[in-house]
Amino acid sequence: MATKIQIARPTKMELARLKKRLKLALRIQKIVKDRLSILVMEFIQTIKESARLRRRLHEEMALAHTSFSLTAGYHGYEPLKKELLSVETALKIRAESRNVAGVKIPMFEDAQDKAPYDEQRNPLDYSSHMEHTQTLARHCLETLVELAELQKSLDLLGIEINKVKRINNALEYVVIPSLDITIKYLNMKFEERDREEAARLKRVKLLIEQREAYAY
Amino acid sequence: MPIDPAKDETINGYLTNGLKAVNAQLPRSRKTLSQLLTEANPHVLLNDGTEHHFRKKELHSIAQLITEDEQSRLLLPIILEVQSEAGDIVIHTKTTIETKMLSIIVGMPLEVHHHILRIFRPQVTVLRSALKTTTQYVFRP
Repeated sequence: MATKIQIARPTKMELARLKKRLKLALRIQKIVKDRLSILVMEFIQTIKESARLRRRLHEEMALAHTSFSLTAGYHGYEPLKKELLSVETALKIRAESRNVAGVKIPMFEDAQDKAPYDEQRNPLDYSSHMEHTQTLARHCLETLVELAELQKSLDLLGIEINKVKRINNALEYVVIPSLDITIKYLNMKFEERDREEAARLKRVKLLIEQREAYAY
Repeated sequence: MPIDPAKDETINGYLTNGLKAVNAQLPRSRKTLSQLLTEANPHVLLNDGTEHHFRKKELHSIAQLITEDEQSRLLLPIILEVQSEAGDIVIHTKTTIETKMLSIIVGMPLEVHHHILRIFRPQVTVLRSALKTTTQYVFRP
């Protein structure tokens, strides 16, 4: 609820200072609203992309699983397991950051070598089935990395939207109305003072006139 | 390092009159596309001291849309000015490179009036989905 700001002395200087603060608060509110609309736009865009990517990942996973089953059927589980263990490598991801309207968002890029297994493969145990499965699995991994980036972006954008909303509400419902009320209060105080001053002057004038009339 | 002093003055214009805090995400200086393409880790330093990284895939896709000469003149990130009164986004440009590039991306002809390229909100969504790291918002009341 908006309440009057506590001021030490109701002076014209204080009024000028409050008017300046109100102008600044209105200006900041405009920027905050712009920022909020941009963040919401980015958030919606990210949600759409995330949904699209999730669908793609499901499709790719299904394809990879089918291909893996075929390869396992062709080679047998044990030889396949042996082959997979021999080409196992650590996952390499380049993690950096980008800035969206003041929000620092992580950016993940797949930094894996495109064909790291060629030297380690045993040509006798290898087949086109295995290569196809490997390619599909790589696509899944790339999509998964992209999805991870989008999910994190969504989290961060959501947190920032909440923060900006709170700032906007504070400005709209507390700061600006409080400044407005205080400025009105000061204006009324000055008007009252002016009226008192005018009444006092009238009274003094009357007293002087009366004194002059008695003197003659 | 400043690449184009005139352009950096444009950025400095956004950082005056108490707007420094809201526009802290602006780069200290922009780099040309050809310079970014040669870097192993393409990035610019922002006013708040953090780094803004560019996606290499995005830089290469832009490079395909413009000539080599234009690549050495195009400054990145492209600054998208958010104007609250008009409700759309504005790009201040002295060259036609941005116009050429963005027309291809949004799939419709764009025009520059008095060095100002105006983009409407629905087009911004298309633009931002294609150029996530090579565009940057700036706020002006």
